[in-house]
Amino acid sequence: MSRLLALAIIVATTAVVTHASAATGRGGGPGTALAIGFALIAASLTGELFERFRLPRISGYLLFGVVCGPFVGAILTPAMARELQIVNGVAIALIAFIAGLEINVVRLRPQLRAMMTMGGVMLALMWVSLSLLFFLAWPWLPILPDVDGLARAALSTLVATVTVSFSPTVSIAVITESRARGPLSELVLALVVLADLMLILLFTLSMEGVRFALGSSQAGHGILSGLAWEIFGSFAFGGIVGACFAFYLRYVGREVTVMLLGVAILLSQVGGALHFEPLLAALAAGLVVENIAPPEGDALRLAVERGALPVLVLFFAAAGANLHIGALADVGVFAVAIVTVRMVLIYGSAKAGARVAGLAGEAPSLAWMGLVSQAGVTLGLAILINTEFPDWGGNLYALIVAMITLHEIVGPILFRSALTRAREVGRMDLVESPERRAADAEAPA
Amino acid sequence: MSRQEDWREVGGVDALDAAIPRASHGLPWLQRLRTRAALGLTPVVAPAVLFVPIGTALGPSFINVLSPTVLSHLDAVVAVALAVLGVFAGLALDLRSQRNRRLFTAASVEAIVTLLLVSAALFVLLAAWRLPMGLSHGLVALTLGLCASVSSAGGADDASPTHAVAAGIADLDDVLPIVVSGLLVVMLGSASPVPVWSSVAWLFRTIALGIAIGTAGWLLFERAHSRAERNVFIAGTVALIGGTASFLDLSPLLAGLMAGLLWVWLPGHADRVVGIDLQRVQHPLIVVLLLVAGASCEFSRQALWLSGPLVLFRLTGKLMGGWLATRGQVPVTASQLGLHLIAPGLLGIAVALHLLQVVRTPGMTAVLTAVVIATLASEALALVLRPSEEPPA
Repeated sequence: MSRLLALAIIVATTAVVTHASAATGRGGGPGTALAIGFALIAASLTGELFERFRLPRISGYLLFGVVCGPFVGAILTPAMARELQIVNGVAIALIAFIAGLEINVVRLRPQLRAMMTMGGVMLALMWVSLSLLFFLAWPWLPILPDVDGLARAALSTLVATVTVSFSPTVSIAVITESRARGPLSELVLALVVLADLMLILLFTLSMEGVRFALGSSQAGHGILSGLAWEIFGSFAFGGIVGACFAFYLRYVGREVTVMLLGVAILLSQVGGALHFEPLLAALAAGLVVENIAPPEGDALRLAVERGALPVLVLFFAAAGANLHIGALADVGVFAVAIVTVRMVLIYGSAKAGARVAGLAGEAPSLAWMGLVSQAGVTLGLAILINTEFPDWGGNLYALIVAMITLHEIVGPILFRSALTRAREVGRMDLVESPERRAADAEAPA
Repeated sequence: MSRQEDWREVGGVDALDAAIPRASHGLPWLQRLRTRAALGLTPVVAPAVLFVPIGTALGPSFINVLSPTVLSHLDAVVAVALAVLGVFAGLALDLRSQRNRRLFTAASVEAIVTLLLVSAALFVLLAAWRLPMGLSHGLVALTLGLCASVSSAGGADDASPTHAVAAGIADLDDVLPIVVSGLLVVMLGSASPVPVWSSVAWLFRTIALGIAIGTAGWLLFERAHSRAERNVFIAGTVALIGGTASFLDLSPLLAGLMAGLLWVWLPGHADRVVGIDLQRVQHPLIVVLLLVAGASCEFSRQALWLSGPLVLFRLTGKLMGGWLATRGQVPVTASQLGLHLIAPGLLGIAVALHLLQVVRTPGMTAVLTAVVIATLASEALALVLRPSEEPPA
């Protein structure tokens, strides 16, 4: 009751303040601080409400963003919603870093080959099927219906690549906020990371194909060197940052939360400026810390607990506030059709992949539910296409945004449900409970 | 959290600092290497002395790393930092004991004396010099007086009774300037002259805002399911206080003060948990605030002309204020108290920076620059004019 009262006070105060201000489009510093404060409290409370109904917290954060964002409730102005995304880079890096911390290579080694096989088969099946389907249905898609021949084939593969893409961020975030640990979490984590790596390769090749087919002047410029820089450079950069952080944890070990956020900023901003993939770099950093120089004591785990929650809240609240619900009205029918086909393909290809890889049990059969989400990576690819091909890229962008909207609503709920069915929710805490109990016992009252 | 992690996060004994011998063992130059001091985390080196010059060097006047665009993005952090400073001032305002009430009276007397003396003297000076400030001379003088009236009792190693009283007064003498700055923000922020009753009405809005968000925070803090969730609620509440107040061109300091005061007075442990959590985040926020303040400085003729008299009038005000404050049954030597209050801390800079965010004019930039120079000079003076040694309490 007291939480509802607090939520009512916060929402009412923010609504009055944003509407009382004459400059409704106002953003800048104060607008950003207001939006961050509002989102932190109100989205957290909405997420908690969702958890009571056994739904993922991040769906609550997203719903908060949608409801209070500029396209529905308009408590947050468009400028504020844009500025909430200031944490996006840091959030992606932090989420991937946490994922890296959860990947223990020694523990995963016996299963790694089978996981890779499953992921490879899955991706290949999905990509080929979607490319064929898009090629056949191309004249009816609201993208560039008049092209034919090689251009149509190239465009179909490009759209298939974007459609295949998963959201490592959302999948990892659901695992983190559910405090889940177990075979399903590990399998989905491996699959989304592998998919992200493959996607970079596929997208680069597909874009090159489209450039060639449409006669773009940018075709063939440093494709291999660019790929190598992005993939290997990201891992190397992340590895170095991870090693430095591990060194810091071992020999200094103070203000760990602030340092962790600093590492996330470094990986996202400096990595981004050097054209590295922040997600891969951060994942590599986490892997190095966990597998090469694991920290002693609880300082890092406590810092992750402290640092991750506000970043997750802000990231998903911003995503919700910036979801263009209007895009659903424009191309909703196509989006629903593609989303349905994609889900069917994920289900079928995951089953086939598991069979080929020889994986059996509950985890492989539920894995498809962790792969439905789409978010930042997909949107980023759509933006890249729109930037390079503005004459038709806008149509594709609208379609992708509508698809992401649907996937963001359905994906986390499905994955959380799968984790619950696999009885993995909360197991991260169970594993650590003796140490945690000892730490809590020592904590000052 | 274990005690070990607690000191790692919150501060306290530092492993590296502990390895460096104390000054009493000789090698006094080694004290400069103590990491907490170098980071400005203890009053051994005032944070302003370290970070404001760095901000100036990084700012648009020099190497332009902190360009005007970057500075505008950092306004959000500054708004939150101001709210945090206000909350700390509010948390210090626990008047339930007789001793604290006495200290608050003494602190208010000292702050009023300094404020009036500096404002009046500078008003006369400004009128005589006819410096072109682009703002009313009265408002400029009042702003400078406000920024001069705050203090921070330096000398962390000083265990004398006078220093203990001075530290209490320094904590509490921020309250009056924060309240007056709430009025000043409204008066300066309006394009046309604002009647006093209207300013007072806006002052009450700021207070209402602080109380409303503070109440929401109070309803949440103690009912959080985990520490991480409580951290989110506290960070969100403080960001909301800073953001809403700045968004309406009100004072985040005053709104924060009201919220802090509310948490002290309402039942429960909200004041304690907020104090502990904000201790953890205040360091980076304060560093950003000081860097932004340094980067926002422009060393104009007006700023240089104002800074010298500001240092002298402030010193006079503090000595007089300290002397008068001892009349209110504060058990310390009158001549010594003022000397303990010479170090200005960073609230004066924070107030001037906030007023600059409200009124972005060359005149207000000159005021901020003068306050920054005077703060650095006063910190240097505080090292020179040290009170005479007293036996520990």
